[in-house]
Amino acid sequence: MDHPNTSPAKTRWVFVMEPERCIDCEACMISCSVENEAPLGKHRNWIVKIDKGIYPNLSTTFLPENCHHCSNPPCERVCPTGATYRREDGLVLVDFDKCIGCKYCMMACPYDARFVNEEKKAVDKCTFCVHRLDAGLPPACVETCIGHARHFGNINDPESEVAKLLAKHPYYRLYEEAGSEPAIYYIYSNRVIE
Amino acid sequence: MTDESNPSSRVSRRQFLRWAGATAVAGALAASGLDLLHPLGTEAAFRSVRRLSDAPPTQFDREVASLCEMCVWRCGLRAKVKDERIYKLEGNPFHPHSRGMLCPRGQAGIATAYDPDRLKYPLIRSGPRGSGKWRRLSWNEALDYVAAQMLAIKNQYGAEAMIFSTTHNLVQTQFENMLHAFGTPNYGTQRSLCYNSMITANLMTFGLEEPGRDYSQARYIIYTGRNVLDSISNSESQDAMSAIARGAKVVVLEPRFTKTAAKATEWLPIKPGTDLAFHLALIQVIIEQELYDADFVQEYTVGFAALREATQSYTPEWAAGKCEIPAETIRRIAIEFAQAAPQAFAHPNWRTSNFLNSFQTERAIACLNALVGSWGRPGSLQPVGGEEGAGLGSIPQPAYPRTAAARLDGVPWKYPLVPLKLGVFQELRDNIITGQPYQPHGWFVYRQNPAQSLPDRTKTAEAMSKLDFIVTIDVSMNDTAWFSDVVLPEASYLERYDPLAVVDGTVFIRQPAIAPLYESKPGLWIFKELGQRLGLGDYFQYKDEEDYLRQQLAPLDITLEELKAKGHYRLPTSAAEGDKAFVFNTPTGKIELASQTLANSGFSAVPVWEEPVSNAPGAFFLLSGKVAQHTQCATHNNKLLHERMPSNPLWLNTVPAAERGIRDGDEVWVESPAGKVKTVAYVTEKIRPDCVFMTFGFGHVSKALVTSYGQGISDSSLHLSFTDPVSGSQALSQTFVTVTKA
Repeated sequence: MDHPNTSPAKTRWVFVMEPERCIDCEACMISCSVENEAPLGKHRNWIVKIDKGIYPNLSTTFLPENCHHCSNPPCERVCPTGATYRREDGLVLVDFDKCIGCKYCMMACPYDARFVNEEKKAVDKCTFCVHRLDAGLPPACVETCIGHARHFGNINDPESEVAKLLAKHPYYRLYEEAGSEPAIYYIYSNRVIE
Repeated sequence: MTDESNPSSRVSRRQFLRWAGATAVAGALAASGLDLLHPLGTEAAFRSVRRLSDAPPTQFDREVASLCEMCVWRCGLRAKVKDERIYKLEGNPFHPHSRGMLCPRGQAGIATAYDPDRLKYPLIRSGPRGSGKWRRLSWNEALDYVAAQMLAIKNQYGAEAMIFSTTHNLVQTQFENMLHAFGTPNYGTQRSLCYNSMITANLMTFGLEEPGRDYSQARYIIYTGRNVLDSISNSESQDAMSAIARGAKVVVLEPRFTKTAAKATEWLPIKPGTDLAFHLALIQVIIEQELYDADFVQEYTVGFAALREATQSYTPEWAAGKCEIPAETIRRIAIEFAQAAPQAFAHPNWRTSNFLNSFQTERAIACLNALVGSWGRPGSLQPVGGEEGAGLGSIPQPAYPRTAAARLDGVPWKYPLVPLKLGVFQELRDNIITGQPYQPHGWFVYRQNPAQSLPDRTKTAEAMSKLDFIVTIDVSMNDTAWFSDVVLPEASYLERYDPLAVVDGTVFIRQPAIAPLYESKPGLWIFKELGQRLGLGDYFQYKDEEDYLRQQLAPLDITLEELKAKGHYRLPTSAAEGDKAFVFNTPTGKIELASQTLANSGFSAVPVWEEPVSNAPGAFFLLSGKVAQHTQCATHNNKLLHERMPSNPLWLNTVPAAERGIRDGDEVWVESPAGKVKTVAYVTEKIRPDCVFMTFGFGHVSKALVTSYGQGISDSSLHLSFTDPVSGSQALSQTFVTVTKA
């Protein structure tokens, strides 16, 4: 792979999504809401549904999504207080103590991944379940994905499931042209790299 | 199906952002550098801010292994508890139904336990039924009162004047214990609203209730209305998705473009009620082209000649005229299916209460599998089924009294082939209303909501109004409880012990993660206490719930304390298992393609075509079904699930919608002979133009369900009652409705 996310010496957490396996059950959304106590009506993760065609020639695609934890995060650049910051392992996090609620980051995010959490009086978003990662557990959405569409791991570890999936299948990232170097990879799981 | 209630999360986020952006700009302008650090408000507003160190806990006081009850699949779960509060539920990796994962409903379970609308105390009504006027009782007062009412009915009219009804649950053994000890034959379950035709057909063909499926090596799967990726049975949904991802060919017969259809290799939008024609034609092709497994048919089946003769005329060309699927498609699928066999199965399906001919459809599917030898082999149907429980200790009790009275629901005097444990629930209301063959006077409802689940709610309400006494035991004030005389609060599944569950030879325990909230009590406790007051104490010989479980564990090499800590226990394998795969519990000991039992009762011995009713011009088939985010009519007040799906708009194809001037989101009137209700249209390409669809469970009339009251509509306000004479199954897809713009 040839992009800034890969540097063998470092841990870089990424998601690999398999849209073909997403059944849109939303277990990931509810698991996340409970785990992270997101307020009702606000979500740190979501599923984009794309319906195409005219009866009876139809298709529906489900794209599971959450914060892309970009390597070059536009949200971090516009944050006037440094509340949004990037960790060594690539996680983009919000320090609620420093957030002043100006919402510039929400404007800058290409993925609409952020929302105002009224209870926390701060802008909130997916953390890749950093508290669970630091305790050695996978993100809550990954653990309960009954379609097995969500995969998570260290892209720089060639033995990881995510690295193996990316080596085997062609993939794309959303709005890659924006140059933010997102860390969610969508694979075509029914196609294999020759 | 959340896509219609929330058409695109991306769009709504965009809209929100536009609003948010405007606010941010205005805020920045107004502040003009004066108070840039506090655009949200003053210092005071920040005092309640959660610090970063308030991140969710990862250390808990305990993790409790237990069983989910957000549906009937009973997945293993782990409840993470800290300071006597459940923070999170996760799947138990040791349970074969969850494999470490919970579905959306299982994940949302804490919102059922912590639902502010839960029943908190025993209640007796202090106004007319349904007035919502209640008086709080102590448990002693409530149980004494209920027992006195039941005994008064028994003494005056006989035990048979009490009806007992419940829905599939782990305390069912003690529920049944109570009704048998009380001495009434009148037992209502949800089964005739669900799978009577599937179970009866498999009993008649294979001698077991529901064959298992081996997805791991299946190469070809046909689903007939089984929406396995939306109507989630956790492990089976996982298996189905994995089979599809592996490249198995999946054919879905379904009038609606479901999520299963979206993932399938081939979606066939079949005309409702004609699945039977499709399967009869598959049989015809497979026999005519000699694609069946001749050795298997010879060795393990009876009635092949009769089946061949009966299906000769059911050609794909004939079927095409019925089910609106091209003959060449039907022929191709027959050939592909037979070639893939035995690593192929036509799924027996689940809720098959669709048409009066659904029993024949299920028989045809069973025979189709038998013809290609899809039985007991890798990738085929499997000879497993029914509840497990052998090896557990039993609780001593005296013999039950003899019951002379006939069952009100007509089993077996009107429905000779319906198994007693299934029954014909929807019939009971006619007995109550007409007083024939005798008049029932009381109804004991345990964790069930017939006021919502039975078709034709007006009829249910009329029947309830004729009863002298109704008591409902449930976790929440469901619609039936709302119209009851006494309501008893049961502890939620996260707060109680239930009898042990055995799955695939392993014992699993449901145990409290937290103590029962409010004054709620476990079902085991309620049945024992009520049993004693009814003079039936000898039938409930356990001191408490833990003692009940200890007696169950007595023959095993594990203590209750060990099981509580571990959550599961592998039963010793019995040497007698042997090769039971090809021993069939039918009168002939073989798979019965032709059934003498059916013939003896005046029905066709082999599957035959029965013409379903069709819609008049301008009328639609009213279809109903499940979604991933809700279970039957039991989860709609759960705030987490309600947030994902708060209502049930009516699916309507774009073409008839345009003809009626109906746009997406418009209010519409839906009318059937049973009723007329107003709802919102979801205009979509994803349904046949002659059908409308709604998921069930919405339209609660209980005002105590504050979150869900009055949201959406109930299919029971539109459905008519039709009963299949063979299986007793209610036909839920042959009510026709008109739709007009409101």
